[in-house]
Amino acid sequence: MTTSSAADALAAMESGARRWSVRRLRTWLVAAFILAFYVVSWQLAKVDPAKLATGLPKLGHWLAQAWPPKLDELPLILQRTAETVAMALIGTTVATLLAIPTAVLASRNVTPWPALYYPVRWFLNGLRGIDSFVFALLFVAAVGLGPFAGVLGIAFHTWGSAAKFFADHVESVNLGPFEAVETAGAGRWTAIAYALIPDVAPVMLSTTLFWWEFNVRASTVLGVVGAGGIGQELKNSMDLLDFARLFTIIAVILVVVTLLDQLSGWLRRKLV
Amino acid sequence: MNVGKAITAPPDPPARRITLEVKNLTKRYSTRTAVENVSFQVRAGEFLALLGPSGAGKTTLFRCIAGLTTPEFGAVTLSAVELVRRRRRERRRIAVVFQQFNLVGRLSALDNVLAGRLGFVPAWRGMLRRFQRNDVLLALECLARVGLLDRAQQRAATLSGGQQQRVAIARALAQNPDVIVADEPVASLDPQISADILELLQGICRRDGVAVVCSLHQLHLAQAYADRIVGLADGRVMIDMDAAKFDAQVAAKLYGSVEVIGVEARRSSGQPSP
Repeated sequence: MTTSSAADALAAMESGARRWSVRRLRTWLVAAFILAFYVVSWQLAKVDPAKLATGLPKLGHWLAQAWPPKLDELPLILQRTAETVAMALIGTTVATLLAIPTAVLASRNVTPWPALYYPVRWFLNGLRGIDSFVFALLFVAAVGLGPFAGVLGIAFHTWGSAAKFFADHVESVNLGPFEAVETAGAGRWTAIAYALIPDVAPVMLSTTLFWWEFNVRASTVLGVVGAGGIGQELKNSMDLLDFARLFTIIAVILVVVTLLDQLSGWLRRKLV
Repeated sequence: MNVGKAITAPPDPPARRITLEVKNLTKRYSTRTAVENVSFQVRAGEFLALLGPSGAGKTTLFRCIAGLTTPEFGAVTLSAVELVRRRRRERRRIAVVFQQFNLVGRLSALDNVLAGRLGFVPAWRGMLRRFQRNDVLLALECLARVGLLDRAQQRAATLSGGQQQRVAIARALAQNPDVIVADEPVASLDPQISADILELLQGICRRDGVAVVCSLHQLHLAQAYADRIVGLADGRVMIDMDAAKFDAQVAAKLYGSVEVIGVEARRSSGQPSP
C-alpha cells in the first residue's frame, strides 16, 4: 500500500516538473530581471577591460620606482598613522557610549518609550547611511581642518551602525531575566541596567573592538578631505607622484592594521 | 527591620485571610482566548497547585497575575486591594519563579538574589549594583535558606539547573513577598531535584505564611505538596478542590483522557499498575 502510494506521489512530481506552471514562469521572470539588472549596471559602471590592460603597465612602472622605500620621513609617517589610530579609538568609543542608550530606545521589546521607536530608528538609519567620509567633509567645514573633524565623522557614522547592531541584538535576546527583574519591582531602566546590559556586554565590547579596527582602516582616507591622519600624506605623495613615499606609507598602514587586527582578535577571543 | 525578621524569626501563625484573588480574568489573543473568566482565591500560607493540559492558559494566567500581561477583563487583588497600575511597590509583593529560572547568567548568585531588593532601593543603587549592607545581609540569608550560601560569588550561568532554581527562589524570598507564583518551576528538573524544590516552596509557604500558586504537570507532585488544586482547561477553571479529594476520575475529566492520566494517578497513589 505505502509503496504504491509513494510511487504515485513520485509520478505526480515527475509529471508536474514537465508541465509549464505559473511557478516556473515566475522563476524565469526573476532570472531575466536579475540578468537585466547586471547588464544595466555594467553599462553604468563603464567597465572597460581595455583601459585596465593599458593601465596595468603604468602601475608596474610606479611599483618599480617605489623601491627603495623612503625612510627619512618615517617619524612623520608614524606620527600621522598614530593620529589615525587615535582618531578611530576616540571616535569609536564616543560612538559606543552614545549607541548604548539609543539602542535601548531602538529595541521594540525593551524601550521605555515605544512612541520614540520609529523616530530613533530613522535617525540611526540616517547616521548609518552617511559614511564617515561624508561626515568628515561636513565637519571640516564646521570645525576646521585636522583630526578632530575626523573623530566627529567616525563617531557619527559608527554611532548609527553600532546602535542599530546593538538594537537588533537586544531584540533577539532572551527577555526572561529582564522580566524576572521587572516583576521584582525594578523600574524599566534599572531592569535594563541590571538584567540586560550584563548579558549583552560581551557582544557589545567585542563588536566595539571590531569597529575600532574597521575605523582605523576606513579613516586612513579621511586625511584626503583634510580630516587628519595618514590620509593627508597619502594624498600629498600621490599629487607629487612620489611613489617611493606612497608605497612606504601603504606599507606602514598594512603593518599597523595587521597588528591591530591581531590585537583586537586576541582581545575578542578573551571576551567570549 | 521587618524584612529581616520575616526571614530569620519564626513568623506569626499564618492568618487564614485571603491574600490573592483572581476575579473573572479574561485574556484574548488575536486568534483565540487564552484565559476565559477565571476566578479563584489563595489564602496566606496556602499552597495552590494549578493543573491543566498544555495550552490550557496557565502561563497566560501567571503573566496576568505577575503584571507582565494586561488582561482584557477582570482583576487581580492582593489583600482585597485591586492591582491596577503596577507600580514598583505593588509588583514586589508578588514574586515570580519561572520554569527557565531566568537568572542573569553573567551575574553572581548573590547579585541575582539582590535583584529581589530592586523594588525597595532607589533606582541608582540598582543601576550601579550598590546595595546597602542590610540588603546584602538579607540576600545572603535568603541564599543560606536555599542551601547555597557557599555559592554566593559564583556566576549564575555556571550553576546546575536545580541550583539556579534555588537561587531564583532566594530572589523571590528577598522580595519579602505576600505571594509567590511559580510557573512550572520543576518542568526542566529531574524528579529528585523537583521534589527538593517543591519542598522548599512548601516550607516557605508554611513558615512565612506566603501564598504559593504553582503550576505543575505531574499530578503526584500536586497531590503530595499542594493544599488545594485548581484545574484549568481551554482557559476555564474546571475544578477547584482540596488536594486530598483529587483522584484519577477528576484528573481524567480535566485532561480528557482516561488512559494516560489513569496510569499517572495510580502511580501517584501508590497502586501497582496492572
